[in-house]
Amino acid sequence: MQLIEPANPPSRKAPLVWASGAAIPWLMLAVGQLVWFIVSPRLPWLHATAAVATALGIVLFVGVVPMWRYRVHRWDIDTKAVYTRTGWLVQERRIAPISRVQTVDTERGPLDQLFGLANVTVTTASSAGAVRIVALDFDVAERVVAQLTDIAALGAEDAT
Amino acid sequence: MTGEVWQRLSPRMLLVHPVHEVLRQIPLLIGSVVLGSATGNPLWTLFGLGLVVGYGVARWFTTAYRIDAEEVRLRTGVLQRKVLSVPRNRIRSVSTDARLLHRLLGLTVLRLSTGQEARRDAAFALDAVEAGQVPRLRAILMADSLAIEQEASGQELARWQPSWLRYSPLSFTGLAMIAAAVGLLYQAGAVAALQDSRLARSGVEAAERFGVAASLIVAAAVVLVASVVLSVLRSLVTYGNLVLRRDAELLHLEHGLLRLREHTYDMRRLRGGTLREPLLVRLFGGARLDAVMTGVAGAGEASLLLPPCPRATAESVLSGLIAKPDAVSGPLRAHGPAATRRRWTRALTLPAVLLIVMAAVPTPIWVWPVWAVLTVCCVLLAVDRSRALGHRVDAQWLVARSGSLDRRRDCIAAAGIIGWTVRQTLLQRRAGVATLIAATAAGVKRYRVIDVPAELAWTIAAGASPWVADNAWARA
Repeated sequence: MQLIEPANPPSRKAPLVWASGAAIPWLMLAVGQLVWFIVSPRLPWLHATAAVATALGIVLFVGVVPMWRYRVHRWDIDTKAVYTRTGWLVQERRIAPISRVQTVDTERGPLDQLFGLANVTVTTASSAGAVRIVALDFDVAERVVAQLTDIAALGAEDAT
Repeated sequence: MTGEVWQRLSPRMLLVHPVHEVLRQIPLLIGSVVLGSATGNPLWTLFGLGLVVGYGVARWFTTAYRIDAEEVRLRTGVLQRKVLSVPRNRIRSVSTDARLLHRLLGLTVLRLSTGQEARRDAAFALDAVEAGQVPRLRAILMADSLAIEQEASGQELARWQPSWLRYSPLSFTGLAMIAAAVGLLYQAGAVAALQDSRLARSGVEAAERFGVAASLIVAAAVVLVASVVLSVLRSLVTYGNLVLRRDAELLHLEHGLLRLREHTYDMRRLRGGTLREPLLVRLFGGARLDAVMTGVAGAGEASLLLPPCPRATAESVLSGLIAKPDAVSGPLRAHGPAATRRRWTRALTLPAVLLIVMAAVPTPIWVWPVWAVLTVCCVLLAVDRSRALGHRVDAQWLVARSGSLDRRRDCIAAAGIIGWTVRQTLLQRRAGVATLIAATAAGVKRYRVIDVPAELAWTIAAGASPWVADNAWARA
């Protein structure tokens, strides 16, 4: 038996949000290196190595990884279960039955608010069983939450 | 009597609290003694002692508990008042714990455990009630979940045997205790004081006369013997007199010669068990048993059902509990050549890297036999680890076995599984295997089936949880 991949991609703006999230610390690192170079320009080979490492990091984490994640990330909901695929190097497919759902949370970080995105977390009684659907357009996220709380008889049973 | 009134803990705690408080506030007391002798006024010392003892006594007066129809509440705190309340229908297990001082006074600490993982200060503990009251309190507290049978009826599942001691000499608890003691001595400055003393000098002289190598061997032997003795003693003191008993839907575990501990579990919260066979215990045909329960921590002392004991005992107890002998001792389905290959690659990476390093830089000749021994150990590890991998699944139970140094066989009730994850690293995708993770609310929360063939992962999940095959994404 196989499960086909979940159907829905995250928001089209997701790679942008992930890239900017990664860009902030990397740019701070780059600025730090620039300051370091201005303050003490001795040992040029060390500066060069550090600069190349940072450049590679930026290309990888700001350029490649967000696109890679965007290709991997998928989510789907039917009347009985929530199903997601996440990750890039390590990929996870996770499925949880809606009858065991305990809470449905929406959460928006500062960058998410800037781009109008939201993350939905569906928790179950197990800390290993929470399903996160990240980087959804805000209206989609609202629809997902409404749909989930509609299906799930939240609080009806112990759910353990 | 257990009506809706606030009740105090045992008045005998008026004796225990001050002693504990004095022990806890030793720095303060030393300070007051120093102050007393410096000012030549012994009143300071008395004042410090009085303050500490008074605080201890005040703790008794400020602590009270009440058992209502709906919840149990505990009010504590001398300066900072705190009220803890636990809904009675959330009580999953009751445990008691009596250290030496408590036992001398006939007292017992009573702890409630709920589904929540309470932090240390939020744990619900009645410290302490009279030991005679415990059966009654336990009956009241667990009564909401079940009708309690009379005490001490029911069936004994296991009882400690002196022969179980043979599994303890090889554990590391003795070494750990020696290390802790040395650390304590070092911190207390005893080692620094010894450094120049006559004792140390005569010791060094004796060692020089004896030969350095011989003294080192003697010292190592002494440490080894001491660690074995300590391990055996600790095991005897902790588990001697252990009894595991089942009364209908309650499971009682009782152990400890000096510090007496008792756990009562609600069997309906049992979601399986884990047979653990650390290498050194396994070599002697032993195993230990952990309970997988909701509302009970998955690892460590809280979930222990049997300490290292003969494998047959552990297996029969677990099969008795889960009423499914196949899951406990039945054959497992192996994970195939890809999984085996991954075990070998992992185990042989370290020797391979070392070999390259040793070939690249000149190394003394004695390194080579060491490398050979290491390689043989790694090969044995790879063989053992690939032999361990296996799973078994049916509509009631998921069984997964893995590991060598710490081999475990997890038996998880399918009904308790509330989510599945199929996880693949880049290398796993290339090897065509996946790690299947069953999420449950019980035990350690995640139970892994390592490196199953990728095309089988969802089939295994669906074997235990029919809902995996019954949705919009399932394809035959």
